[in-house]
Amino acid sequence: MKLQSTRLGELEIDEEQIIDFPRGIPGFPDEKAFVHIPYGEESPFSFLQSANEPNLTFLLVDPFAFFTDYEFELDDEAASELGVSSENPPQVFLIANVKGEIVDMTVNLLAPVILNPVNHRGRQIILEKKDYSIRHKLFSQGGE
Amino acid sequence: MLALTRKVGERIVIGDDIVVTVAGVKGDNIRITVDAPKEIKIYRGEIYDAIVAENLQAAVSNDLSGLNLLKGLNKK
Repeated sequence: MKLQSTRLGELEIDEEQIIDFPRGIPGFPDEKAFVHIPYGEESPFSFLQSANEPNLTFLLVDPFAFFTDYEFELDDEAASELGVSSENPPQVFLIANVKGEIVDMTVNLLAPVILNPVNHRGRQIILEKKDYSIRHKLFSQGGE
Repeated sequence: MLALTRKVGERIVIGDDIVVTVAGVKGDNIRITVDAPKEIKIYRGEIYDAIVAENLQAAVSNDLSGLNLLKGLNKK
């Protein structure tokens, strides 16, 4: 099937690539279907494109490529809703916010996006971690 | 919307399995305890609002042409 994206143009995707977000995403409760699109094979960046709204694209970042000590405990309720376990681990991404220059982009450490690549389910969870910021600079000292 | 007045130690029961207790009041600060099933998510209002606001802003289509500069940036 074909998918329209304002940012990424026309995308040809398989129906099974569609990820179900049963709760939507905070701020977008009605957006329950997304497609995860890698930026490049080895890039830590990727996109989360709404399957229904061409204008809705999130830029995602692989947290572990930047923050080696990033960690949290996925609570049982979220794990069972997503169908993930230690045998079937989730993928974890951060939503990036680019307001000006790319080097100034921030990421939301407090509310990671969790994807189950096997059953194609996703959810943005909110952690109970006081030291994780909603606007954490991805490139400290302005980047390299 | 229902508005209730409670004294310290008094409770509000919501449905069959949510109990909100006013644990204490100290000046402007009211300490509340909530007993609810695990699947009910409880957030401080301002944290949830901040996540919503951040998502709304992150979703605005920005000029990402500069991202090409990061193309060579690979996972470790």
